[in-house]
Amino acid sequence: MKQKDEFYIGYVEDSVGNLTKKSLKNFVLFGIGFLILGALLFGIFQNTASNSSFDFDSATKVSGVYHEMPYPMLQVELTEGIYKNVVLLGFGKFGPNPYLKDIRNQEGDLEGKHLTIEGNLIYYNGKTLLQIDDGQKISLTNSKRTKSISTESLGAISVEGEIVDPKCYFGVMKPGYGKIHRSCAALCISGGIPPVLVSDDPNAISDYFLLTDLKGNPIHKDILPYIGQPSILNGLAEKLGDWHILRIDVSQIRKLNKESSIY
Amino acid sequence: MGLDYKLVLWNKHKKKYDKIFALSIVLYLVLFIVLTLLLNPEGTAETLIIRAFGSLAILMLHIILIIGPLCRLNPQFLPILYNRRHLGVSMFLAALIHGTFAIIQFHTLGNTNPIVSVFTSNLDYGSLTNFPFQVLGFLALLILFFMASTSHDFFLKNLSPKIWKGLHMMVYVAYALITLHVFLGAFQQETSLPTIGIMLVGFILVSGLHLTAAFKETKNDNIKKKKEEDGWLKVCQVREIMENRAKIFTVNQERVAIFKYQGKLSAIHNVCKHQGGPLGEGKIVDGCVTCPWHGYQYLPQNGQSPPPFTEKVATYELRVQNGWVFIKPEAFPEGTEVEPAKI
Repeated sequence: MKQKDEFYIGYVEDSVGNLTKKSLKNFVLFGIGFLILGALLFGIFQNTASNSSFDFDSATKVSGVYHEMPYPMLQVELTEGIYKNVVLLGFGKFGPNPYLKDIRNQEGDLEGKHLTIEGNLIYYNGKTLLQIDDGQKISLTNSKRTKSISTESLGAISVEGEIVDPKCYFGVMKPGYGKIHRSCAALCISGGIPPVLVSDDPNAISDYFLLTDLKGNPIHKDILPYIGQPSILNGLAEKLGDWHILRIDVSQIRKLNKESSIY
Repeated sequence: MGLDYKLVLWNKHKKKYDKIFALSIVLYLVLFIVLTLLLNPEGTAETLIIRAFGSLAILMLHIILIIGPLCRLNPQFLPILYNRRHLGVSMFLAALIHGTFAIIQFHTLGNTNPIVSVFTSNLDYGSLTNFPFQVLGFLALLILFFMASTSHDFFLKNLSPKIWKGLHMMVYVAYALITLHVFLGAFQQETSLPTIGIMLVGFILVSGLHLTAAFKETKNDNIKKKKEEDGWLKVCQVREIMENRAKIFTVNQERVAIFKYQGKLSAIHNVCKHQGGPLGEGKIVDGCVTCPWHGYQYLPQNGQSPPPFTEKVATYELRVQNGWVFIKPEAFPEGTEVEPAKI
């Protein structure tokens, strides 16, 4: 009887009875407990990010020989005879070509010429990329052409892995792979960023492959349906300095119905 | 109750309510952020914000959704319902921060309009595991936006309680969309059993409480009432109704509340004109039937809110014979004066 007589009216002060107070206290404890449990579970069991880096707040000047095999890169000499190919990227979800337009108009074909570019470095697991956010930060340091850079053919291979956009994967976003990131990767690659296959086979000849079509031309829009999903790719492998290239027929990519394990 | 519209009609209870849940939100965010910084130090600030506010929003939505059925099962929880809209608007803001940062992170600075990109950057609409889960979250956020932006008595009155209630029942559509958004999105990548487990427990809790509350009400609706020859329905004995309280019966597919007070009985339609609260779970306070949800009041003998308020509910005729209560199932027009039945 006493329980029934308690009646709460929000705008009347002190209208909360003792039994109601007890129920409210239980609810508040449950609510706070539920949030604490949620914070513990979501906080402890979340996927962790890699130690990839993106120097978004500091610019670096990088000098090297420009080449397109087929994606724009700078071949940088680290020490005498040791080179690193730095993949060039644009700001946001774009490739480097819009930023190279002005210097191409001034200097013509850039292949084999020595450039200095000021941009933001992205690096992880031995690979380096450079974001260009302003065409004015690209300058020609030597117009004399270096002899053409060649690739070494490694034959036909089959690689299992996931196609990502290298800008996010190698440092801008964490994680920069998988289903959550898939839309972003599709925008990046359709915007001119080269597609990269990240291998999840420890015995593969490389962890990473720049993907081209069978003729060695860039691929962007055609590969969008395959991004961010574990797949098997067959193609002709080539070595380009510290990078590998895989020439593929996009229509032959086979999606695997399984969880990504590329990290 | 209020005659004019203010952004918030603050009172002591609302302030205490808001303080408790604001502190709980801060506690959640601090705990999640500290754990993330300790255990995932390489993560970016954007990912931290997206994860913190997304997970907060979905946990808050579960808490919001259990309040309704808990109150239907036990009126002692009604004070939590009183200011639920503040909790709802806060949950929307958490979801908005999650959605805004996700759109900025994944869909801006590209060659497609960010909103268009939400719908077009993944076109695997025919696949379950590859389904573009962002679309589900975006649609849920739109529903929550319409709910949060109309979460005020001004819109309740101007949209009409029926349309307003219908709009706010869309929270269940939003819940379904958000659940799918999480299972087809984050849980395709974050596959740890404990995180999936807390979502499953939440779903079982929400659906279990709703089913229990619905079963309780259906049982009450299905009680058979004996019809007398002259059209009166025999509903209960007078002693079954407590003083200043009511019993609810379903007559002609409508719920009716029969109140006992000062040696009399009066019957009015059970649905409050404010937000559809169950008047029969209310109490006679200062001579008025008082709604248990937000304290709207009606005079028992005519179903009218006391002046200067203007709300009206339908009234019914009662008869008492040999300790039994009889009701005429046909309702009088809203606000019709009916002589209370003397006990």
